[in-house]
Amino acid sequence: MEKDLHKLYLASEQKTDTKKNNSAAKLWVIASGKGGVGKTFVSSSLGITLSKLGHTVTVVDLDLSGANLHTSLGLTPSHLNIRHFFEGTKKLQELVIPTPFSSLSYIQGFWDSWTPTEISFEQITKFITELKGLRSDYVIVDLGAGALEPHLELMLQADEKFLVTTPEPTSIEKTYRFLESYVCFSLKTNSTPEAFQQMISTLRNHRQRTLQKPFSFRNYLKEQNGVGYDFFDSLSRTPVRLIVNACRSTSNKELGRSMKSVCYKYYELAIDSVGCLPYDNAVWQSIRNREHVFAAQPFTPLAGEFLATCKQLIAPEELRAVV
Amino acid sequence: MQTTPRSNYYEILELPAHAPQHEVTLAYERARVTYSGENPAIYTIFSQQEARELLVMIEEAYNVLGNKVLRNIYDQRLLSGLSSLNELTYASILEASKQVSPEIKVDNVKIAYKKDDAFEKEILNQIDWDGEFLKKVREYKQLTPQRLSEITKINQYYVSAIESMNSEKLPAVVFVRGYVMQIAKALGLDDKKVVDSYMQFFKARLGK
Repeated sequence: MEKDLHKLYLASEQKTDTKKNNSAAKLWVIASGKGGVGKTFVSSSLGITLSKLGHTVTVVDLDLSGANLHTSLGLTPSHLNIRHFFEGTKKLQELVIPTPFSSLSYIQGFWDSWTPTEISFEQITKFITELKGLRSDYVIVDLGAGALEPHLELMLQADEKFLVTTPEPTSIEKTYRFLESYVCFSLKTNSTPEAFQQMISTLRNHRQRTLQKPFSFRNYLKEQNGVGYDFFDSLSRTPVRLIVNACRSTSNKELGRSMKSVCYKYYELAIDSVGCLPYDNAVWQSIRNREHVFAAQPFTPLAGEFLATCKQLIAPEELRAVV
Repeated sequence: MQTTPRSNYYEILELPAHAPQHEVTLAYERARVTYSGENPAIYTIFSQQEARELLVMIEEAYNVLGNKVLRNIYDQRLLSGLSSLNELTYASILEASKQVSPEIKVDNVKIAYKKDDAFEKEILNQIDWDGEFLKKVREYKQLTPQRLSEITKINQYYVSAIESMNSEKLPAVVFVRGYVMQIAKALGLDDKKVVDSYMQFFKARLGK
């Protein structure tokens, strides 16, 4: 009986959906090179901020090394989780769970698999299609650390791509490695295998400083046959957006801009720096109470930074007058 | 030091060609923060040595774009598109500016200060011009580092670094030479004598 009701509910949802769902959900992906820099915190906070701005949002936990988005949102893990999708027993829409925040829902990540999770390319393609089909204005995917192939593919298909880093050299270093993997992964699909191999070895020489001095990656791609030069341009048009988390000083706040400049000078790759989040002790304190910091303290400079970032991304023209 | 303009000054400072003057200064200051010293943003991408080389280019770019006369000449040459690379180098721009305005006008700035004959004499007879003495003269002429920076168009940060002879905070030697020249002129000193003496002290410090 109960199941039937649920089915009926889903069917009715789908009906209303056909009218509304002319535009696919906007896909935002949050990645990082290093673990523990605050991806999950950024994902949940972006989700909450967007929902406060009046949009419907679904946050999805795709951390293969163990889910914890639910903890960040102050929820207990659900038995209905993303494992069911990858095992093929459920559709993604059926896994959406509401949260105490209005118009914010989430999809629980892996926490009852007991075996390492392998995701094939077909699975990730299907996953992306269903993500964009979710009944939400925005879908935010929280990834695990590192440049794994599923992560890169998701980044590539996303409408907004975020890369989280902290001001520590360990994190900065891994952020650059992630960016490099992402650029090469993107170019790979648009290149012939030989040209791609050639490009990798050129980049290696560039790193070892054995190339003649003024080396321009952009010009190199332009001159090379079989490499997607146009694609490099499109990478710059939909740039990776850098978020520097846990800034403790004003010099930290300049870091995002500095890294942007370094990427431009070294690869001629345009990235964007969207936010520098101040370090706030309230974050870890409220996590200990199993509560999101925005529920406990909604009007902090930190929350303001998220609000500004979200507004900038969804409606830049509204802010232009202020800036 | 090579001055082959593989990328133009606007690209070096990452500016659009129509950027207003205050944005040029802002971009320059940001670039200087990024590529000087121990900024973690360059970690594993640029070595310290490469950062220094970039800094030389940044300094050169700002010397041209930060100066209205030089920027005008540079813009004209860049826009005409006819100019060969040689005509876009720092040296050639500087040369051209001398034809436009024979001397960069520092002299017309009136400096009001109380004359002290004993100190005037000391200045006249001074042989060793190090940063400390430059500072003394500046203070005697009742100029703040900020005011001196305004007159000479040299970053205040460098004015202080020149006085403390802190080579780590200063760009390549040629630029330091130019700066000291400007400062000496602004202070109404015999610039040649001052520069030669100062650079000896400065190089001795560098050698250490």
